[in-house]
Amino acid sequence: MSSTDARPALTLDALRLTFHPGTPDERVALDGLNLRMNEGDFAVVIGSNGAGKSTMLNAISGALQPDSGRVLFGAQDVTDLPVHRRAGFIGRVFQDPMLGTAPALSIEENLALAQRRGLRRGFRLALGRGNRQRFADLLAPFGLGLETRMGVLAGKLSGGQRQVLALLMAAMQKPRLLLLDEHTAALDPGTAELVMQATRRIVDEGGLTTLMITHNMQHALDTGNRLLALNAGQVRLDLDAQAKAGLTIEALVQRFGASDDQLLRA
Amino acid sequence: MDILHLFWNLVPVTLVQGLTYALIALAIMIPFRILSVPDLSSEGVFPLGAAVAAALLSAGAHPLIATACAVAAGFLAGATTAMIHLKFKVHSLLAGILTVTMLWSINLRILGRPNAPIFGIETLYDWISPEILRSLPLQITVAATLAVALVLALWWVLQTDMGLGLRGIGANPQLAPALGVNLVLYTAGGLGLASGISALAGALMAQSQGYADVGMGVGMLVNGLASVIIGEAITGRRTLLRQIAAPVVGAVVYYQLASLALALGLNPSDLKLVTGLFVLLTIGWPVLIGRKVSGAGL
Ligand SMILES: Nc1ncnc2c1ncn2[C@@H]1O[C@H](COP(=O)(O)OP(=O)(O)O)[C@@H](O)[C@H]1O
Ligand SMILES: [Mg+2]
Repeated sequence: MSSTDARPALTLDALRLTFHPGTPDERVALDGLNLRMNEGDFAVVIGSNGAGKSTMLNAISGALQPDSGRVLFGAQDVTDLPVHRRAGFIGRVFQDPMLGTAPALSIEENLALAQRRGLRRGFRLALGRGNRQRFADLLAPFGLGLETRMGVLAGKLSGGQRQVLALLMAAMQKPRLLLLDEHTAALDPGTAELVMQATRRIVDEGGLTTLMITHNMQHALDTGNRLLALNAGQVRLDLDAQAKAGLTIEALVQRFGASDDQLLRA
Repeated sequence: MDILHLFWNLVPVTLVQGLTYALIALAIMIPFRILSVPDLSSEGVFPLGAAVAAALLSAGAHPLIATACAVAAGFLAGATTAMIHLKFKVHSLLAGILTVTMLWSINLRILGRPNAPIFGIETLYDWISPEILRSLPLQITVAATLAVALVLALWWVLQTDMGLGLRGIGANPQLAPALGVNLVLYTAGGLGLASGISALAGALMAQSQGYADVGMGVGMLVNGLASVIIGEAITGRRTLLRQIAAPVVGAVVYYQLASLALALGLNPSDLKLVTGLFVLLTIGWPVLIGRKVSGAGL
């Protein structure tokens, strides 16, 4: 499945993360979670509500600190780095379309902001250097018509338009890992499909190593080359492209004897 | 007729006043609108700038150095407010109140007494040209040039990569760190920048009026807020330039309105009440309207 001597793009080593430790509300969200992502992997992550999927992504991004365990990009241990210092490695899109873009900034300003992810910010005009044209060219292939409205505030865009913008922002300055947390869940089915198409396109064209959480079983089956299932803070199932190719929704449901949300109770 | 005449005669003086206090309005707008971290510490930072400049001038410092040090002191005060806010998880408004309170003592220490004259000492204005303080048109020109230059400088800074980072933390404080913006550093820098401008206003005010007073910040805050509100009503907030110009336009208009009100017989000691009510009304307007609507529904 993976070449033995190549370093994985991402390694999660025995991650443990507890909310409200030592109180009656104590909740172990990650329970010694291990994961290796190889360069170019596009892994879809499924699991019931509360399985620890979002917490895993938050531990990777640095938004949450694990109690123990390590997060490595290649050979570099980033476990103790704050969010802004590992931002150069990571692009991220959230479920809430409000979170992935800055509503009070224009489309082109959002892209300019993202273009410096992980880089020093100096006193050069953010929209100089032919950036305007470059950004418009970046948006044009998605057929949203945004390339002619680059000065419009991101806050004025529809949810789907914002998610595509957020995807582009996350993919700029090629991150070593793209994190997608149910980024189509807040959209109507048609728009979700459009955003999924944009996702596949961006991941393919950039050759991005990607972790995508979804509750949509169809998307889980026909996207990516790897399927991960989480339960109770651990990876319980890890299927490669071949094993995944043979799966049907019926088989998934049958195998785990559950509807979407109950998927991994078996 | 007489009343209007009085007001008319005061217009140029009031204009200088408005253009100078415009810097405070700018310093209030930046945290509110650009960073979304409201900070009202101008009330203490303005006299800090005056105190630092006056103390250094009295000690024989060059007016440029004295003014620059005042700005630096203001920057530090603003950065301190940011650190109190972020490190101790205190609301930014409370952090600002703590800063103002502590600055009161610090300003007294710096001045050595509540009020210190700097007559007979070369000020920044004397250094540029001794004519300035003797000529109203010159004063207006200098104050207007400074205000416009500051607006343009801010406009430029906020369009650079660094400035976009600042606006980014204001627009989406979750996203900005994920794009590599250091929230603590940028917030400290942003509040520092704003307070530096407040302190500059204080340093200039002390040098033009010839004394520094620890009480000279009192009421600046509400005047500044009123200026920002009036300015935004006039220029709107559609573009970055309009947003940045609003406090300056607003301050010029506000101080003329205040002068008119005084000419019409408003007791000067009632001015703060009127201004406060005005700010309250503008801020409360949506609530008042909302109440009416929901009340009708009940
Ligand atoms: N901020 C939080 N405070 C307390 N508990 C939390 C918090 N975030 C998540 N949890 C708990 O941690 C567990 C994992 O949550 P999460 O990672 O959000 O699950 P998923 O994304 O798989 O639905 C759940 O039991 C959830 O209730
Ligand atoms: Mg989740």
